Amino acid sequence: MVQAISIQKPKVIPDVVQSFFNWFNSDPRHYQIIFLSIFLFYGIAGLNWEVNTPNLLLTFFTCFITQSIFTAFTTNDYRSLKSAAISALSLCLMLKTNSPLVIVIASVLTISSKFVLRFEKKHFFNPTNFGIIATILLTRNAWISPGQWGSNGLLVFSIGLLGLFVLLRVRRLDTAIAFLVTYCALSFIRSVIVLGWQPDFFFHQFTSGTLLLFSFFMITDPVSTPSHPQARIAWATLVGLLAFFLANYEFVNGAPLWALFFLSPLTILLDKIFIHSKFSWI
Amino acid sequence: MKTQFAMRLILTRTGILFFLTSTSLLLTYKNSNAFCGFYVAKADATLFNKTSQVILVRDGDKTTITMSSDFEGSVKDFAMVVPVPVVLKRDEIRTVASSLFKTLDDYSAPRLSEYYDDNPCAPKIVEDTYFYSLNATSQGAMEERVAIAKDDYHVTIEAQYTVDEYDVLLLSAKESSGLERWLTDNGYKIPAGAREVLTPYINSNMKFFVVKVNTEELRKKGTDFLSPLQISFHSPKFMLPIRLGMANAKGSQDMIVYAFTQKGRIETTNYRTLQVPTGNSIPEFVQNYFGKFYVDVYRKHRREAGENNVYVEYAWNISGNVSQFCDPCNGPPPMLQDLMTVGVVWVQNYHTGYQGDVFFTRLHVTYDRKNFPQDLIFEETPNRENFQALYSIRHPAYGDFQCEEGKTYVKDVMKRRSTELNELAMLTGWDVSGYHDYATKFAQFIPNAEPHYRVPVNNPPKKIEAPEQNPLLNKDTSHVKQESFTTPFYSDGDNNSSSGKLKILTLSVLLMLVVLMIVGRMGKQKQQAVK
Repeated sequence: MVQAISIQKPKVIPDVVQSFFNWFNSDPRHYQIIFLSIFLFYGIAGLNWEVNTPNLLLTFFTCFITQSIFTAFTTNDYRSLKSAAISALSLCLMLKTNSPLVIVIASVLTISSKFVLRFEKKHFFNPTNFGIIATILLTRNAWISPGQWGSNGLLVFSIGLLGLFVLLRVRRLDTAIAFLVTYCALSFIRSVIVLGWQPDFFFHQFTSGTLLLFSFFMITDPVSTPSHPQARIAWATLVGLLAFFLANYEFVNGAPLWALFFLSPLTILLDKIFIHSKFSWI
Repeated sequence: MKTQFAMRLILTRTGILFFLTSTSLLLTYKNSNAFCGFYVAKADATLFNKTSQVILVRDGDKTTITMSSDFEGSVKDFAMVVPVPVVLKRDEIRTVASSLFKTLDDYSAPRLSEYYDDNPCAPKIVEDTYFYSLNATSQGAMEERVAIAKDDYHVTIEAQYTVDEYDVLLLSAKESSGLERWLTDNGYKIPAGAREVLTPYINSNMKFFVVKVNTEELRKKGTDFLSPLQISFHSPKFMLPIRLGMANAKGSQDMIVYAFTQKGRIETTNYRTLQVPTGNSIPEFVQNYFGKFYVDVYRKHRREAGENNVYVEYAWNISGNVSQFCDPCNGPPPMLQDLMTVGVVWVQNYHTGYQGDVFFTRLHVTYDRKNFPQDLIFEETPNRENFQALYSIRHPAYGDFQCEEGKTYVKDVMKRRSTELNELAMLTGWDVSGYHDYATKFAQFIPNAEPHYRVPVNNPPKKIEAPEQNPLLNKDTSHVKQESFTTPFYSDGDNNSSSGKLKILTLSVLLMLVVLMIVGRMGKQKQQAVK
């Protein structure tokens, strides 16, 4: 009797919805896609970015096509198109250009880096990071706009929170924290303690949307970062150090992106020294 | 005192090591709140500051900065302090003709184009276009004095020159209070709060470019006008120091930057760079208030898009090989001679024009201490897209409209005018309800009162504070009287502002997150239960 009652307990959530959420929850990339889409929407609607819609579509189209071609010749697992969507969104968020040709070059470079620049079955550049830097170096007709997000506290809060959530799901929070702590602590020491600027000088740069987007969605890429936890933290600290140096002594715009680009190949070495199981999305 | 070369070399290297390096700058016009320096006066007279205008040229790591010197008041009271990254050599400082600023301002100012309809019943092919332009303008702010004590200053005069009518000193200092005392004891009034910014500049190993007028030289020159000063130097950092200029500012200040580069537009990397609204059709009668119109367009846009942004008012590819230097032209584009004078030295004489890539960007920034904690740091982008702040008015045809097309035309014009009024209200926040006749009657419409802001019904009066501080209100525009424009428009308040949208966005995102997490957790629990 008791058993019968418990079986008939009314369902709060229908099975279809429940199974959808189970599927959605099964892969952290779903969250990444949603979060990055929200940022893009916010940039266009809330921050009035001058976005050219055909260029936006071209980015997605080229990324998907390139990913499909490579997938057909390699794993044949088309779930990897989710990664292509993340790359396309990140390109739209970070890389600026007026030329459709440059967009195609950037998209192809981004996706193909995952399949070409590999070492022991693992790609060692963050695809978007490689795509952005390589495009800037090769075409000289693209740029990064670190100032495009403004410096709004609420934005910081939401990016931080969203990023945190994605990170917890893929267990890479250590990377983001190691980078942010290094970069921000050095910046604080230099600008406020050594040079004597008021604290708002420091907070102004710390609240840049580009920095947080980089910290939570790029340097934390679980596939291209060192697999061993301690090695990863040391590596992220190094990225923070280099980014600080480039920003403050070489006056490089978008310094974290350049720092990550230069230090990505180090992943190979670190993985050789510190053996650890490789990350898999699912 | 001569510059010491060894000393300078060391300083330069250290300067690079410590970041600072690049800055520079200086002056502005009138009075106390210069943009990157502050103006100091030797007398107690209260001087007023116009909008600063700066010409910025970037060529590799070389920066050339020309500062307008539209100084009002007795010229012998003029003085200025500007942080610079290195000790400048004598040939890196010069004066140029002040007409340069007028040329660039006329060429790049926001513009109004005017079109005439043909009468559909008596067609004739005439279309005239006229342009009105709006020039940069002015504002003022009070200066305060600081009392000081005498002591050892720890200030070194690195170099000392006479450049035309100016006496120039290049100072280095060990600590801000020493520099502050030195300036005060030498007769310069410096603003309260300057120490807060002097310290970081000194710690960054910046030098101070201190200028005052040499009245003897000025008399020899036989004029009362001060020439714009130009300085150039090599530094990897591409920026304009504005923090010193706001040391004493209670309100905000305006600055127009005319930039020349080789590759493309410049934008700020530590602030958002946005374009001002453009391409709107506005009612005919705005022609009489165009200056006031643009001031309010800028103000409203700035308030809604964010007060900590930098705005592009004009961007144009003016390379020697382009066919259109402007479209429509407000004023003649800069000539080879102008380019050479401002520091665009990479162009060469070619036939009647010049040869070489040049991109021109006009930026407008309204800055204050709260919204601009850092100096402006620029980046030269490869973006060569042209942009201009352009608005248009269309005059209807008048006469006999008895034909079929004529009747349709009259209806179309009335409809069009209604749209124009909406655009006007949206762009400026003006109260357009008094212009009802403009949209409903097909007739020439002359407003019986100047446009005015809608006064908020439900906003508390305490919010009405901006106009006294907003420098743009004092804009000296061609067709406009100043007095009647003192009530600010706030009726659309925060709801339309970007911060309002941001709040809504953030809240919805958080809500979504919470829902997803709850559902995910429930799903997990269910799975475990099943197992």
